[in-house]
Amino acid sequence: MRQSLIHFWRIHLAVLLGTAVATSVLTGALLVGDSVRGSLRDLTLDRLGRIDYALVSDQFFRETLASDILRASDTAEQFEDPVPAILLSGTATNASTRARASRVQIQGIDERFLKLWTSAETANLGGFTTKQPGQSFPSVIINQSLQKELNVQVGAPLLISFERRSDIHREFLLGRRDSSDVVQTLRLTIVKIIPDRGLGRFSLDSSQSLPLIAYVHLPILQKAIENRERVNAFFVSRSYHSPNLTTDALKSLQIGLHQALNLEDLGLTLRKGKGYFSLESKQFLLKPSVIAAAKAVAADRQMPFLPILTYLANTIAADERRIPYSTISALNPERATSLQLTDGSPAPALAEDEIFINEWAAADLAAMVGDQIKVSYYVMGPREELITQNAKFRLKGILALDGLAADRGLTPTFPGVHDADDMSDWNAPFPIDLNAIRSKDEIYWDLFRATPKAFVSEETGQRLWRSRFGSLTAVWIFPDSSGDIERTKEYFQKGLLEEIRPEQVGFVIQPVKAQGLQAASGATDFSMLFIGFSLFLIVSAVLLVGLLFRLGVEGRTGEIGLLMSSGYTISTIRWRFIKEGCLLAGIGGVVGTGGAVVYAWLLMVGLRTWWLAAVGTPYLVLHINLLSLGLGYFIAIAVVLLSIGWTVRKLGKSSVRALIAGDTILEYKTFGHFTPILAYTSLGLAASLMIFAFISGKTSSAPLFFGGGALLLAAVLAFFSMWLRIPPNFLSRSQRMRTLRMGVRDSGRRKGRSILCAALVGCACFVIVATGANRHSGTEHGMLLRKESGTGGFALTAESDVPLHHNLNSESGRFELGFSEADATILGQTQIFQLRLLPGEDVSCLNLYQPQKPRILGVPAELIERGGFQFQAAQTTTPEESANPWNALEGDPESGVIPAIGDYNSVLWILHLGLGENLVVQNEFGEALTLRLVGLLRSSIFQSELLISDDNFKKHFPSQSGHSYFLIQPPSEEVAGIEGSEKPAEIAQILEYTLSDYGFDATSTIEKLANYRAVENTYLSTFQTLGGLGLLLGTLGLGVVLLRNVIERRGELATLRAFGFRRSTLSLMLLAENGFLLAVSILIGSLSAMVAVAPHIISPAGSYVPWLSLAITLIAVFLVGIGASAVSVYFALRTRLLPVLKAE
Amino acid sequence: MASVDSTSLKVSEVYKNFDRESHTVEVLRGISFEIGEGQSLAITGPSGSGKSTLLHLIGTLDKPSSGTIEINDNDPFALPEPQLAKFRNQVIGFVFQDHHLLPQYSVLENVLIPTMAFKRNNGDAEERAKALLESVGLAHRLSHRPAELSGGECQRVAVARALINRPSLLLCDEPTGNLDRSTAETVASLLFELHEVEQNVLIVVTHSLDLAVRLGHRLELEEGICVKV
Repeated sequence: MRQSLIHFWRIHLAVLLGTAVATSVLTGALLVGDSVRGSLRDLTLDRLGRIDYALVSDQFFRETLASDILRASDTAEQFEDPVPAILLSGTATNASTRARASRVQIQGIDERFLKLWTSAETANLGGFTTKQPGQSFPSVIINQSLQKELNVQVGAPLLISFERRSDIHREFLLGRRDSSDVVQTLRLTIVKIIPDRGLGRFSLDSSQSLPLIAYVHLPILQKAIENRERVNAFFVSRSYHSPNLTTDALKSLQIGLHQALNLEDLGLTLRKGKGYFSLESKQFLLKPSVIAAAKAVAADRQMPFLPILTYLANTIAADERRIPYSTISALNPERATSLQLTDGSPAPALAEDEIFINEWAAADLAAMVGDQIKVSYYVMGPREELITQNAKFRLKGILALDGLAADRGLTPTFPGVHDADDMSDWNAPFPIDLNAIRSKDEIYWDLFRATPKAFVSEETGQRLWRSRFGSLTAVWIFPDSSGDIERTKEYFQKGLLEEIRPEQVGFVIQPVKAQGLQAASGATDFSMLFIGFSLFLIVSAVLLVGLLFRLGVEGRTGEIGLLMSSGYTISTIRWRFIKEGCLLAGIGGVVGTGGAVVYAWLLMVGLRTWWLAAVGTPYLVLHINLLSLGLGYFIAIAVVLLSIGWTVRKLGKSSVRALIAGDTILEYKTFGHFTPILAYTSLGLAASLMIFAFISGKTSSAPLFFGGGALLLAAVLAFFSMWLRIPPNFLSRSQRMRTLRMGVRDSGRRKGRSILCAALVGCACFVIVATGANRHSGTEHGMLLRKESGTGGFALTAESDVPLHHNLNSESGRFELGFSEADATILGQTQIFQLRLLPGEDVSCLNLYQPQKPRILGVPAELIERGGFQFQAAQTTTPEESANPWNALEGDPESGVIPAIGDYNSVLWILHLGLGENLVVQNEFGEALTLRLVGLLRSSIFQSELLISDDNFKKHFPSQSGHSYFLIQPPSEEVAGIEGSEKPAEIAQILEYTLSDYGFDATSTIEKLANYRAVENTYLSTFQTLGGLGLLLGTLGLGVVLLRNVIERRGELATLRAFGFRRSTLSLMLLAENGFLLAVSILIGSLSAMVAVAPHIISPAGSYVPWLSLAITLIAVFLVGIGASAVSVYFALRTRLLPVLKAE
Repeated sequence: MASVDSTSLKVSEVYKNFDRESHTVEVLRGISFEIGEGQSLAITGPSGSGKSTLLHLIGTLDKPSSGTIEINDNDPFALPEPQLAKFRNQVIGFVFQDHHLLPQYSVLENVLIPTMAFKRNNGDAEERAKALLESVGLAHRLSHRPAELSGGECQRVAVARALINRPSLLLCDEPTGNLDRSTAETVASLLFELHEVEQNVLIVVTHSLDLAVRLGHRLELEEGICVKV
């Protein structure tokens, strides 16, 4: 074997190198996956420091809660002392240049937080807790990214703006929405700029992009937000002495949290009244989960209780008389035994349209029992506008202003109102007509404060005034059978805290490190991605190996014939070749494994540089995994050996005589059954897929068409193979171009080789055309701004750090937000859709991590009605939904499931889901919320989030107040000529300037789409680059085949020369042979690809196909192929042919 | 060589040398002879004596180092390459030891191959090809391919192919060398029959004395020199 290996060293070296290439590419692709995962893992560990668990809540709680949790936990020894902190998101502004950065993480920390990082990272940071001599403002540490964004230096002043905390929901009547109440700004001095690693890239979100960070000393931030010794987050790290956490650690922490939470942490109070105690909330309204828990505890322990909802009436009127600004309580009089009428009798039950007023109000209104009482009150409209509504009641009775009816505690404390000396001093968040307040009203205020003047039934109150933030303002608990109010209170409190699960009220400890490491496995499996990208290269290399090995074997047919004539069996000879193949593959594999490291390194360099847009981070480094090296080696070797085995398998099909004569296998007589079966089956399947796509209306289904195209490619190649076997019959044709025709016919001489080459080139062209046709151009502006495009016809999209609570489309809203008259006029011509946003992880291809908590948008009804965008697929059940699939968001698929829409690419590639599939997320109450994907948008601006209806959003995330996501549509005439129009830019500037404190950041939708498409295009470019390398190998294979053909056919060619065929004629004939193969292969590959990308071509919005560049590419492929063939022909015919003819 | 009335082939003082790395090999040394239309010549001699080289020179497949070869009073080597190829196509027919049939073509197509080399009206080519194949006894094998024929049949196809353009000079290089005795006899008889019919000049290089004696003239070479005519 050694001698033969050495003797045929050229062909063996080629086989070895082919194997090395296949191994390098396959193993390299595996290493790329390892490297991306490893790098993301490194980034996760880097950004979290020693943090293993974190709790981040929407509400502030005691700073000492964290320590209490450990005390309550039975696994305290496993953890270090928890570190409290405040985590906010906001805007940072360079006080000198006004340069602004949005989405800045504003972190309130102290020395305890610094201990979560290595000493090297936190060296010299301790001093930031105190002001330096001459320093006017508190210190702030920023990271390098923020420094670059704002172009600031140490010592420079920095303004940070964030949402002012509000206990009362801003969308509730009593919520404060003025800019000064919503946004808070701090002036600080930059004392340190830290690098973007470790502490400098701390983030709880799984994302590879660098965060913008501003660290402020915890007490400074606590003071600023008027929440001393309160925080909204804490971090837990495992103990140095207990490096391995038990699996129950999280459970233990969660139990500890449940035990450590007190009413204060939950924003609840138990106020003691006369003969009762009242459960009230700092949020004014009790959350439904708290109400349910309170009722359950009271019922369970047989404590009488009274649910109360107190609301503000603008007027209570009878005929022309009216009382301004009074409170009305909704309660069940049957439960309120101390509620008495003026005659001393107990107040009876109220029907829905009945009302009690107290004797003061009755006197003021001169109302008699049976009179009609009109109540007007505010409710919050869908765009956070106050709407006045009226209700009419029949006066059921007049209550004595005594006992419960005179209890001021019926109206919970409301800062700014409760503590006002006079009604005219009210600092209320709603408009007050001071002229309506009479002196007698002030007297009532002096005597009874906010004591309700009227009472309606609990049911009526719920019907009129309940909101998503709560349905009660208080639950009064009366003593149990013991009669001991203190004991009852104690029991109730204990029972309530046991009943309320922390996650119901937004207290969930997250295993952030474990989640981060899990997310680091990546949304996209880069191993598979790059194997996919390199597949053609791998296949080319393997086919080339097979081709070369086959050529090597065919070159030794004489030797095979001799051995067989000497008594060797065919299996012995096969085994001899297989052993050679094994040795060559083994050595080639080893070489290839080394090459794999280089290949992977090159790809990582590519991802960090040329293809940076695809991964968005330059922090990807090569990670070598021995397992992947071994796996890649063995898979590549196995594939190569299969290819060699397939070649050797055919050895026995020639006669010994033919072999000795040097004849190789000729396959003209008949063709096997496999090819026609493959041809017709593939064609049938391809046709079935297409027909199914059309019948089922899935004409835009890429997988169906891509599968159909690939099957068509296989079918046409099989038919071509069959055509090559048909006996030649060119005699009936005209004599014109006979040489070319002879060349074409010669392509069938070595059918196997021809098909192999056609398959190689055809596949390459399939890849090139399919990827090329899917590329997106950045010049499709006109098309992109259509309503049925990825932008939905919106020119701008925007986000704000602080949610807006005013309607940008209304004059009053713009006034409240502080727009100048001129700006307001411009904005008046602009349509702005305001969406609610649940912060979460980016689910687009811009995020390499596997998102676990997606960003969610609440789509308002008017946007649903407007429709727009283009759907890749939609699950519709009604004609209305078919006409406008957005309507499906308001559908009700099944109980507990809410409809959602996502971008097709994000859903498919990042979430790994499809139409009709479910994604389970957690709602605000800690419950599993099933999102059913009822629509998939095509290449839209919503690739980073999922969309649900605004109603569902408010229902499941009621605490998320205001609107943080905006779609902006300038006047239609401006959009039409958007490329030349400056209107969107002007609108963006106006909004960003006036709403700078809100961190309002507008982006061109085309730019946003371009960013997403850049990723897609980069992947396609990667695919094409690697496909191009494969094509190079394919072309090389074509050249090798031609060379070998010419060598084999030297006798024939010499004979033709003897019969007068010129060298140029022979060259033309040989080139025609290869040119025909090449042209057919290109045609087959391209047409099949066209079928595969048909949905893209026929779609109105995405129908941009770069025909010219594709045509140029294909022509280039043809020319390169012909060039390679010409070189082969040149070298082959350069040698003298005539000696072959000599008999001696 | 016998004198002829109309000379078809005149070889005068032909030398042929091949340059090797260190020396020059003189394969043919001053070969001269003439042969006329309708005549036949056997070229014999031991291996390496230069028989095939001489045949290739006559067939214009190679150029003599010196000396002249005139065919039908023309010096083909004075023609540029394209004309020389056309001359060879129209005037000379070849039968080689190995038939060198093109395996991808049918028997009929193989015979027609020489008619494809140049653009001309080949309206009767197919008919002539069929007639030739009939005359070589292969009329029933028109659509078969070489792989389906025996060695003798292939060589008969090669003979038909050589005659398709009605060459005035038919050159055969060991035409029966690869065949068994019986088949060789059949092919040889065929050659002579067709030679009689076509009345061309037939030159056969052969080791077979049986074959050589059946030709009209005989030229024996030894180390590149004509030792017997």
